[in-house]
Amino acid sequence: MKIREKTSSEVAFNRDYGKTVGEITSLKPRIECRNVNVYYGEKLAIQNVSLDVGCNEVIALIGPSGCGKSTFIRCLNRMNDTIIGCRVTGDIIMDGKNIYDNGVDVVPLRAQVGMVFQKPNPFPKSIFENVAYGPRIHGLVASKAELEEVVETSLRRAGLWDEVKDYLHQPGTSLSGGQQQRLCIARTIAVNPEVILMDEPCSALDPIATAKIEQLIDELRVHYTIAIVTHSMQQAARVSQRTAYFHLGRLIEVGETAQIFTNPRHQLTEDYITGRFG
Amino acid sequence: MNSLDSALSPPRTVDAVLASLPKRRRAEQRFRAYGLTSIVLGLCFLAILFGSIITKGYPAFRYTTIGLDINFDPQIVDPEGTRNPSIMAAADYDALLKASLSALFPDVKERTQKRALYGLLSSSASDTLRSVVLNKPDIIGKTERIWLPADDAIDMLAKGQFDSSTVESEGRLKSQLTWIEKLEADGRIKKAFNSTFFTKGDSREPESAGIWGAVVGSSFTLLVTLVLSLPIGIAAAIYLEEFAPQNRWTDFIEVNINNLAAVPSIVFGLLGLAIFINFFNLPRSSPLVGGLVLALMTLPVIIIAGRSALKSVPPSVREAALGVGASSMQTVFHHVLPLATPGMLTGAIIGMARALGESAPLLMIGMVAFIVDVPTSINQPATVLPVQIFLWADSPERAFVERTSAAILVLMAFLILMNGTAVYLRRRYERRW
Amino acid sequence: MSETQKSGSSVKAEGHTVKRFDGELSRLQLRVLEIGGLALSQLKDALHALKHKDLVLARKIAPRENELDLLEVETDADIVSLIARRCPVGGDLRLVMSVSKSVTDLERIGDEAIRIANIALQIYGSGSIDPSDHMLRDVNVMGSLAVDALEKVLHAFDKLDEASALEIIEAHRQLEEEFEAGLRRLLTYVMEDARNIGFAVSMVLIIKALERIGAHAQNLAEYVIYQVEGKDVRHQTSS
Repeated sequence: MKIREKTSSEVAFNRDYGKTVGEITSLKPRIECRNVNVYYGEKLAIQNVSLDVGCNEVIALIGPSGCGKSTFIRCLNRMNDTIIGCRVTGDIIMDGKNIYDNGVDVVPLRAQVGMVFQKPNPFPKSIFENVAYGPRIHGLVASKAELEEVVETSLRRAGLWDEVKDYLHQPGTSLSGGQQQRLCIARTIAVNPEVILMDEPCSALDPIATAKIEQLIDELRVHYTIAIVTHSMQQAARVSQRTAYFHLGRLIEVGETAQIFTNPRHQLTEDYITGRFG
Repeated sequence: MNSLDSALSPPRTVDAVLASLPKRRRAEQRFRAYGLTSIVLGLCFLAILFGSIITKGYPAFRYTTIGLDINFDPQIVDPEGTRNPSIMAAADYDALLKASLSALFPDVKERTQKRALYGLLSSSASDTLRSVVLNKPDIIGKTERIWLPADDAIDMLAKGQFDSSTVESEGRLKSQLTWIEKLEADGRIKKAFNSTFFTKGDSREPESAGIWGAVVGSSFTLLVTLVLSLPIGIAAAIYLEEFAPQNRWTDFIEVNINNLAAVPSIVFGLLGLAIFINFFNLPRSSPLVGGLVLALMTLPVIIIAGRSALKSVPPSVREAALGVGASSMQTVFHHVLPLATPGMLTGAIIGMARALGESAPLLMIGMVAFIVDVPTSINQPATVLPVQIFLWADSPERAFVERTSAAILVLMAFLILMNGTAVYLRRRYERRW
Repeated sequence: MSETQKSGSSVKAEGHTVKRFDGELSRLQLRVLEIGGLALSQLKDALHALKHKDLVLARKIAPRENELDLLEVETDADIVSLIARRCPVGGDLRLVMSVSKSVTDLERIGDEAIRIANIALQIYGSGSIDPSDHMLRDVNVMGSLAVDALEKVLHAFDKLDEASALEIIEAHRQLEEEFEAGLRRLLTYVMEDARNIGFAVSMVLIIKALERIGAHAQNLAEYVIYQVEGKDVRHQTSS
């Protein structure tokens, strides 16, 4: 029960924060990231991040703006590929293979690792088409009846079916913000991915829509592995089992959510979650 | 006390705002006045332009015809009674006209006067008679009132385009005026719709000159332009915007496309002359070459419009598609392109409208030639509307002035139609997201 | 806890971004000290009254309890509103929790002090013969131990001094031992002279109260440790 005095280097920003505090590994890892660095051109956006995303768990990534949490989550399905000058080093292992290896096709990867974005972005097509798009392009369904079934299941899982079942051929953009986001989640799960990445999915939503999405995340955990980036610490505390705190491109601390929010072990984490950043 | 108060209480913002308010309001009102004035001025110029073109061009859509009782003398039309079309076509219809006119004005005896009398009618009047006979051979041997086109000068006279001083100075016109008055009194002068103007090719005679040849030439030229520039332009735009890697090469290409859009159109004409006509030996004055040149000119416009339409598609749509695992090609063709289509089409149509109104490069490749025949293929010599306008504007005949304006009206009608289509397409297919 | 990277959260490098939050938290902390101070003076007065047979002082103690109760109620209301509005997490959450519990313990200490004062009134007010100083010895020893523990724990709470909090927890054992020894001693007095029995019962009640106060002080020390360390050290058999 001895407490080491915090050294000055741990206080100072932009210096070495030491190794990530807490257990980066997971009992049943789905994606294993080791020593991941991301560069935007010459700028180092993420430095030496190692983290497991475990099966059937919700891991929340929190941290101040520009800390690299979105960048990190976008590495997991290689959405960063679309950004010019973005370079990723290190290992992101899924099913024993580094997803950044040469010759890895992003199409099956993204079918396996779906993504929900910050702003609800349904296609400007009908609700049905929005959900049907993924299964159709991946050839997951053989017949129209099967497709309809997939659409219904996905919408049901996203908790949207009862609200939209009579308007399936209305444009998806005519829905409210919260419904649109749930439509996007339905679109993602229609492909039946194994991992769902969510990049601040509730930042544009009101509290009630947010609560619905959070409830949905909790239900989806049974079937999927979910990594969620959020600016709302309360949300991270509510939905996740594990929480990872990023600061200036580094993973500072990761641990059980309850532990992070009652007794963070790193001073930076404590300062962030209690609102002490100037 | 007062000064003490003011020293104690800090100055209130609202006082400063109120003090500066009248000045700001005046500045705003002045600015509004400037704006309104410029708009009114612009509208005035537009009204003057349209007014002058319409008032000048409108009469050209109607044409003066003279009703003459023609005796279709079998001796002249078909002496042998075979009803053979070739014989009937070769008959001397001028004789019939002259006979009819002489019968109307028996007191005209002098040679020059007679020529002036016959000059009341257009030289194409005999052609009209011929076609009447060929269409209806039964008419031979009968006398019927046929409406025949007047000479262009008579047309002008009847429309009141000549003022009295012109009439006074020309003796021939003076005597013709009296005949016209007599014909008018007899109810033999009628203004009819000028179908010649819309159905015939160019002619040295204003009364038989039409824009159909130019319209067909323009259509062929635009067809070639459209077929070439639209697919190439859109494909180039999609490739450059969605697939091309960003490196020095693509930057270089982009800069050059932008430069190309700013190149004066006559340079494209020179290029067409040098390459298509001199090097490839394609037929001069043909819509094919014209279309090629205009396609070159339109291409950068379509590429730039296409790229900006693609750029304006929100990246969230691309992310959404990529996020569910669509390949880049599927992303572009399923999601981005449908959203960009209205913008791309608008750009293409506006480029086409520019091509339709273009004359300078076509002058360089010889489309300025005088061509009477209506072209039937893209290889035949042809002219286009703007060049036709240019040619007519150059002609000395008084009657060509109104035809020039009328042709401008037709050209503008096409341009408005095309721009209207562009607006309609954008409205129709534009989706909100 | 070798990998622990931070020191006690008592000394923050910088305050909350929301300054008022800082104010509210420190006010809570001050409240505990205030209530603690009150409880401490109640206890001291009660012991003083008992030792010096000061009936006037002993009578004053019970009415002052109201003040303490009022403070407790106010503090609870503050805590509820702070949780509702600020959603404290991390060290802030631990502080709020430990304040909430500390207040309860301190209020109990106040109650025990009244109990002692009432017994003093009973003993001296009944007109019976004064007890022997021998029998008061245990009360005095335990009283000073309890006062000491309470003072120390309030100091530890103020400074978030984990080390002294640990000492207090250790020290509580001494008080318990004293309590048991006192019980035995009082029993011998009773066996010696049955007339002592009434007085001895009062003494037992007093040392029991003091023992409870010690236990509350121990709880307070545990809250200090929880607040600093995030570890719950209650109900652990310390070796």
